[in-house]
Amino acid sequence: MTSSQENGDDTLDELLKDKARIEELSDDEDEDDSMTGPPFPGNHLKPRRKRKSKLHPQPQRKLLEIPPWIFDTNELFHNDVKTPSRNALDKTAAECLRFLTLLDIQGLPLNSHGLPHLRRKPHADFLRFFLGPLQTGFTAMDASRPWLFYWCLAGLSFLDVDVSDYKERLIETVRPLQNPGGGFGGGHGQYSHCACTYATVLALTAVGGLDVVDRKTMWQWLGTVKQDDGGFRMAVGAEEDIRGAYCAMTIITLLNLPLELPPDAPARKGGLTSFTDKLGEWVGRCQTYEGGIGGGPSNEVHGAYAFCALACLSILDAPHISIPKYLDIDALARWLASTQTTPEGGFAGRPNKLVDACYSHWVGACFALIEAALPGMKDGLWNKAALQTGPQGGMRDKPSARPDGYHTCYSLSGLSAAQNHYWYDSKSNTTDAGSGRLLAAFNWQAKRGTADELAVLKVDEEDVVALIHPVFVLRLEAVEAARRKFEAGGL
Amino acid sequence: MGKHDDDPAWSDITPLPTSEGGPNPLAAIAYTEEYEDTMSYLRAVMASNGFSPRVLDLTEDLIDMNPAHYTVWLYRAQCLFALNSDLHVELERLNETALAHQKNYQIWHHRNLIVDKLDKCEGEQGFVQRMFVKDAKNYHVWCYRQWLVKRFGLWEKGELDFTEEMLREDIRNNSAWNHWWFVVNGREAEGVAGVTDPDSRAREINFTKDAIAKAPQNQSPWNYLRGIARKSGISLAHLKSFAEQHASLDRPGAVKSSFALDLLADILGKRRVATSKLVGRMICWR
Repeated sequence: MTSSQENGDDTLDELLKDKARIEELSDDEDEDDSMTGPPFPGNHLKPRRKRKSKLHPQPQRKLLEIPPWIFDTNELFHNDVKTPSRNALDKTAAECLRFLTLLDIQGLPLNSHGLPHLRRKPHADFLRFFLGPLQTGFTAMDASRPWLFYWCLAGLSFLDVDVSDYKERLIETVRPLQNPGGGFGGGHGQYSHCACTYATVLALTAVGGLDVVDRKTMWQWLGTVKQDDGGFRMAVGAEEDIRGAYCAMTIITLLNLPLELPPDAPARKGGLTSFTDKLGEWVGRCQTYEGGIGGGPSNEVHGAYAFCALACLSILDAPHISIPKYLDIDALARWLASTQTTPEGGFAGRPNKLVDACYSHWVGACFALIEAALPGMKDGLWNKAALQTGPQGGMRDKPSARPDGYHTCYSLSGLSAAQNHYWYDSKSNTTDAGSGRLLAAFNWQAKRGTADELAVLKVDEEDVVALIHPVFVLRLEAVEAARRKFEAGGL
Repeated sequence: MGKHDDDPAWSDITPLPTSEGGPNPLAAIAYTEEYEDTMSYLRAVMASNGFSPRVLDLTEDLIDMNPAHYTVWLYRAQCLFALNSDLHVELERLNETALAHQKNYQIWHHRNLIVDKLDKCEGEQGFVQRMFVKDAKNYHVWCYRQWLVKRFGLWEKGELDFTEEMLREDIRNNSAWNHWWFVVNGREAEGVAGVTDPDSRAREINFTKDAIAKAPQNQSPWNYLRGIARKSGISLAHLKSFAEQHASLDRPGAVKSSFALDLLADILGKRRVATSKLVGRMICWR
């Protein structure tokens, strides 16, 4: 391997030939991770191919110098047995490799390092599209419209677009989603739901529109989803999982709701008095033998649930206190690092599953949280140079998938996690003496990557994504405004 | 005029049309007339907490149009229970919906509610198996399977055979590995020891080593081995010679698994032994 690596281009050539063969063989293989539902709306946003190549004439390019991680472990362990998983992994590696090596740059304009620029305007246009009137095909999103508000408004703000203009429209749009008994549903007349409420509150925070939230009924409704065992249901009568724990604590903390359970909360019968009672222990029960975190106790490990667990614990207390208190931190750190895929360099949600850009956020954002809890952490646990962007107008799961708001928002957040620095200020208070508010999540600090670091990442200054709060996944200043707004607490 | 407006059976209900939220709502969806009409009637019915056979029809229509509508599912369950409906019929209907909408997960919580109420699980294991034909790693289906095992005490009723079969089809199916762990270790609260019992542990280690022999470059069983060691308090150093079988430091070219190297690195690192040989091997491997 060492000798062939010296001549990078030859190796690449072989690799690609080999990949093409794998692609041919596995044509029938269909690992279907695509969603049925909303039709792809972005076609008209794509510049026409011919015009595009005129706009960005491509001189003779050198292919990207291949970093060691590009070499697929499968190339090294080629005698290993083929299974449906292995075939799907190979197929994905093949479709990604031509973009990773810059063999195909899709006609995108390149930055000073020869990598595609972050194209702010097409991405912003793509996100704005989902905030406009949507065709009938989007009926499948009728119960999750608040996610569209959040993905698009947060995503736009990550691209440094001023979203405050959307404030009045968003407030009017979410008014009918708020239920008299507290919380927000996916649409008018739909039950209040932790995920819908989380997405609505975050979107409102992004535009500075939190006045529309009825905090008192919100507190009462959250009391109805807190469970005796410490966790939270997603809605009354719905499933209990770790999303509920993270969403509920995010809502409580941003809005500075009392931690005390409402007098009629069912969990009081089980002896609980606070929203935080038994919560850390419940999150701890979601860690499995693999070291990662499942959606509930004994469920399979999953990258998105690892983020929910770490973010929830980082709300309860300082990460270096709460994370080791409830989780085997070494096992979790090891598992998180193991989800980074070769050769793609992105992250997969589960072992032996496929790389997907959204995990650049779900797993990528975990590192700031867990590094804050690991003593003497200096170099970082992940290979940041590996992350890539590039598709035009919106971002996508993987090259064969269609872009959507979800992947665009979380890919941008993942990029920000890789490009910038986030650290916890352990000198600040973790509880507000006056209102009793949990303050740990407000103690994060951030700064942009230095010029030298950006050069290592092959990123130009203009390609850097905004500083994003590692727990609440919003711009830092939007979180700070919410902290100040509800400083007094009370109901 | 929607179809319910003309229907005398619905003449007592005043529909509640969708409140759009101002003149210029964000992400407003162009619902079909039928969807808007049906939702308007459901909204009105829910406002008065009405349960009747016609409401069941309404929820069925809506689920057909939008199976991701969690509110409709939750309300339908309440309605079924309030009316003492035949839950076997509901299960039959659910089978079709689940097979047609593989990615839908509201349906699995609903199924959970129905089967829990029925207090019987005949045919459930078989149906779950059918779901795995199209997606053997469907997260929500595996969660449901765990719930079934726990709720109905199916630990020794074919679960290991079923899981082994899933692993035979794809030894890299991490969901199946997780289920295997669950079946072996899931009853500790009831006093049935898993890998903390020496016999069970020996069996599990052998099972895992066999799996690794078939496909060394497979993260799942390596994670499983580490899980056994952590759970039963055994030092990773016990796995050193096994790891070396798949990543010999003395024979260049004999490294069969990056996970074996990873494990060796942890073992040698813990023993504070000079790891230059390993590092050298890893550089060469890179």
